[in-house]
Amino acid sequence: MRAFSAVKKYFANALIIAELELRKIRHDQTQIWVRMVQPALWLAIYGLTMSKLGVNTYIPAGLSYLQFMTPGVLAQSALFVAIFFGINVVWERDLGLLNKLLSTPASRSSIILGKAFSAGVRGIFQAIAVIVLALILRIHLIMNPLSILGVFIIIVMVSMCFACLSMAIASLVKTRERMMGFGQVMTMPLFFASSAIYPLNLMPAWIKPIAYINPLTYVVDAMRDLLATGNLHTLPVDILVIVAATVLFLVLASLGLKKMVS
Amino acid sequence: MEEKAIVVQDLIKEYPRVTAVDGVSFTVDKGEIFGLLGPNGAGKTTTIRILLTLIQPTSGETLIYNLNTAKNSEEVRRMCGYVPQDVSADGDLTAYENVLISSKLYGMPAKERKQRIHDVLSFLELTDRANDMVNTFSGGMMRRLEIAQALVNRPRVLFLDEPSIGLDPNARRIIWGLIKKLRDEFNTTIMMTTHDMGEADVLCDRIGIMNRGHLATLGKPAELKSAVGGDIITINSSNPNCIQKVKELGYSVISNATDGHCDLIVNNGETLIPQLLDSLKVRGVLVESVSLKKPTLDDVFLKYTGARIEEGDTFAETRRARRAFSRRS
Repeated sequence: MRAFSAVKKYFANALIIAELELRKIRHDQTQIWVRMVQPALWLAIYGLTMSKLGVNTYIPAGLSYLQFMTPGVLAQSALFVAIFFGINVVWERDLGLLNKLLSTPASRSSIILGKAFSAGVRGIFQAIAVIVLALILRIHLIMNPLSILGVFIIIVMVSMCFACLSMAIASLVKTRERMMGFGQVMTMPLFFASSAIYPLNLMPAWIKPIAYINPLTYVVDAMRDLLATGNLHTLPVDILVIVAATVLFLVLASLGLKKMVS
Repeated sequence: MEEKAIVVQDLIKEYPRVTAVDGVSFTVDKGEIFGLLGPNGAGKTTTIRILLTLIQPTSGETLIYNLNTAKNSEEVRRMCGYVPQDVSADGDLTAYENVLISSKLYGMPAKERKQRIHDVLSFLELTDRANDMVNTFSGGMMRRLEIAQALVNRPRVLFLDEPSIGLDPNARRIIWGLIKKLRDEFNTTIMMTTHDMGEADVLCDRIGIMNRGHLATLGKPAELKSAVGGDIITINSSNPNCIQKVKELGYSVISNATDGHCDLIVNNGETLIPQLLDSLKVRGVLVESVSLKKPTLDDVFLKYTGARIEEGDTFAETRRARRAFSRRS
């Protein structure tokens, strides 16, 4: 019973931290709109151009390139934003906000979880942008309420996963400038070593093992199952991998937070 | 033995390169305003952060209302309020939201929340600005909001780290008034750090002077001042032997600067100055200026540490103080 109330308190605190972040967004929505630009460019320019190169024949499961790529762009857009989330934490530490948060009864990891969750909620807006654009471009996707709900859940999870990774790294690098650099260094390998914009079987052989330990690969796979192929056999494995990676990064970030303020 | 609000026993905090707190012990009574005084880098903030469970001590014991802070960190945080030295109100939220989030994080029941937030905002005279964004606030208002955030939980112990740093004199007086009112009306135990002697003199019941991780002395402001022993004469001379000569004359010199700046403790300074100047002239020391001062806490500090309070700032501390100031003004 005591354990239950401790768990309840843990998640309640995480939700309060998320509320704090989301209230900020309510006051200033610019960042939400700006976030929609990048995935739109990937889809509308890169996607349409690549389709004209006749790449459709290489795409498995009889999908068109745009069908194949849209889930990839969803995953990628979440990654590109979440990977820089640690900058917030460094900034808050520099301002002294972090010290105050840490002096409240909320535990360190509930603070990290709350912040990650707020990153997840922001990701939903990107998902909406991509789905709306896909409709405009008449990309044929599976658009039933359950698959859309699934996509939202996955996008929250992937944003949380990479936001936690970013916060874990932030606790090591400790400055905003370095964090910018590390974010850059991490996004491209994570992006290219996944099946976001091309099938895994076309990759150079040496990169495949990396793709298999890259959480983004599983995210893309989950999105693609939900939106394009409709084949949900591997979905549980995908979700398991994402959750495991998130928990790992959450633990690392929580441990790092302690070091960050002392 | 009566229960103390705060007990610090043989506290040590070592970092790889420095020992920030080096064997400090003191106690704070319930309802007392206790000040830790000292230059930047003396270990005041580290001590507070250890009490607030933000940092683990290397050794020693700290208790708040008989709870060991290292072992019962969550309970300790629940009964404390903390106003850090840096600006800590969130500029991207309204004043009301800042206090709301604090009240939720301290687990206040939803039924009481609204009333308490209202009470605390009116206590700090922020009611009419409750729904304004905090990034439009002046430094003094921001400080009051931060105190409101710390008070909404009705803490038994309130920690204030440099409460008036970077504030203009008027805002400073308002904050001082609030701190006193808080203790007088709610009997809150308040522990504060400051490097402003005037502030410590006005507010604190007792003061501990810290320097380089040690507690140099501890006592009531009046006691400490009388312990300095008398008036202070400061002599400025370009002659490097000035201190030497003054010592030869049998005066008690309390500074050890090498730039011809010399502080000595005397009784009846007014009548002594002409005599002193004559004696120095005879010995070939040309005095450029003389000043006489009745004792202040600054002198107490000088006596116990041999340095003026302005000295000893690290680069990082100075930068932080300036940044805090520029954000507040």
